[in-house]
Amino acid sequence: MGIASQRIERPAHARSTGAPARTPLYVRLRRMTPMTFLTIVALVYLFVMVTFVLASMRSEQSLLHEGAFGPLSLARLRFDWRQLAGFSSGIYFHWLENSAVVAFAGAAIAVLVALPAGYALAMLHFRGRRVLLFLTILTMVMPNTVLVIPLFLEVSAVHQIDRLLPVAVIFGFFPFGTYLAFVHYKTTLPFELLESARIDGVSEIGIFLRLAVPLAKQAVALVFFFAFVADWTNYFLPLVMLPSSAVQTVSVGLQELITSSQLFNPSAAAGLNVQLYMPELSFAAVLQMLPVLVVFVGAQRYLTRGAMLGAVKG
Amino acid sequence: MVTRLAAIPATEVAGTSRRRGSRVVASSRQGRGGLTLLVPYLILLLLVGIVPTGYAIYQSFLTRSGSGFGGISAYHDAVTEFQFASSFGHIGLVLAVWLPLMVVGVMGLALLLHGQRSRLVGVYRFIYYLPGALAGMGNFVLWLFLLDPVNSPVRPILSWLGYTTLNQTVEPSHLPVIIALMLFFQGAGTWILVIYGGLNGIPEELGEAAKIDGASNWQVTRWIKLPLVRPWIAYFILLNVAYASQLFLEPQVLGLATEGQISPQWTPNQLSFTFAFQIFDVPAAAALSVILLAISLVIGVVITTRTGLFSNRD
Repeated sequence: MGIASQRIERPAHARSTGAPARTPLYVRLRRMTPMTFLTIVALVYLFVMVTFVLASMRSEQSLLHEGAFGPLSLARLRFDWRQLAGFSSGIYFHWLENSAVVAFAGAAIAVLVALPAGYALAMLHFRGRRVLLFLTILTMVMPNTVLVIPLFLEVSAVHQIDRLLPVAVIFGFFPFGTYLAFVHYKTTLPFELLESARIDGVSEIGIFLRLAVPLAKQAVALVFFFAFVADWTNYFLPLVMLPSSAVQTVSVGLQELITSSQLFNPSAAAGLNVQLYMPELSFAAVLQMLPVLVVFVGAQRYLTRGAMLGAVKG
Repeated sequence: MVTRLAAIPATEVAGTSRRRGSRVVASSRQGRGGLTLLVPYLILLLLVGIVPTGYAIYQSFLTRSGSGFGGISAYHDAVTEFQFASSFGHIGLVLAVWLPLMVVGVMGLALLLHGQRSRLVGVYRFIYYLPGALAGMGNFVLWLFLLDPVNSPVRPILSWLGYTTLNQTVEPSHLPVIIALMLFFQGAGTWILVIYGGLNGIPEELGEAAKIDGASNWQVTRWIKLPLVRPWIAYFILLNVAYASQLFLEPQVLGLATEGQISPQWTPNQLSFTFAFQIFDVPAAAALSVILLAISLVIGVVITTRTGLFSNRD
């Protein structure tokens, strides 16, 4: 059994200080400093994630008999890859492509739409501004799954089911992004700058392009990051909008891998020409996570500064 | 939020006083400019928000054959479906486990992290956040790995609890706890970042002044930190209630992975999905969507108007 799970089960501090078993609970809790507690939680998180990622490099036999940790081999990764490539003639890689198309297009549309809208809401005076701001915040705090069935009814009424474009356009509507841009401009762009540009006779669009766009870097990074992650990991919308296997995104595809797996559906998997056990499933799940990690690393320096601005939404 | 509110007025007051001079001219000019910048956003708001909502409301008043006006018959069908009440009951059960877990876990970890001076704080925040990058199906596959005693790294815990197969671990009565754990693992980290960011916004002098007056760490937390982050706690609870009412992925795919052990109509969204794609009762699916939409809308309006986080101030 693994080291970390021992840490879950026993109050780590009690043993390391050699406290007798009879010590009252509150005394033991007080001895357990906050840092110890934070460390234990972090170790549990790491244990879960690390064993999961490493499962792709182990054999089913090892997972079955050796517990949390066992011998790793890189050759196993090549084997996993061949199984995935052999599943329905490599459809997994099409799913990745489809996800890339809708997530990149969706996040790009979100940025292009949110920046000017957020700027206008923050810096300009016009009729209906408050109503629109209210609608933006309202749609932002509503879960995006709530409109999936209505959107399906709408898209199928115009016969666009099984197409990637409507999915990308739907992803492009990202009110949280508009709100991020709104807060960004509200806090970084002084009104005086706009006024002097107006006195110089620059048009409103010109002011946006010359003053607001160059200042947008952080807002662009934040909106793109949040939109991309939301789009890439979305499951319900692509599930109903893209019912044909060939146009599915990878998050829906993973579900197909699970239901085709010998592990979870032996009868259906009887005719399967490849192995889909936990190592292969772990490999498939980790592989489809990499784009999110890449975008995360790219956006990270903006995220730390933008954590308040972004996540707090205040 | 505290810091931002303090920071904004300086620039804003200057802005408003200048604007007032040529208000009428400026407004119409800014109105046109604003409209141009807002056009893409308004189009998407219409296509992805308002039209599908309206269309779903329209569909929900049709007869089952879809031919003519059916009054509230579709709502009647949806509400009297025998799974209707139980699906909402399941949401209640998940919330009963998940909300306390989230509030205590997130607040606890954020407050503990905030009290530390160690360099590890940044590392831990990152580790807690990591599962968020694995959201959706990635997180789900990870949990299949954890829950299936065949390859679970925590098999000793599972067998101690008496579970030797996946179907035993994810027996329907266990679902509220399992789903709550899944959602906590993937979502807590993001909220820890948010609350931590909020705690960072509290001026340090406040706590120090209180300590000079003899306040303990706990008193500083209880009487200074907690009241100042309270709006976010309200926000966070409401948002999570709205999110939970929309549950779909976890019970859906757990049902698929256990070959029908879990009702395919375990949550309202799954019921709506069944109406639309299994029994092809589109008006009932639309009616249920409208009901769910109304619930989210109410929560959304409360968040937007009552938590004081989004005061839309100028």
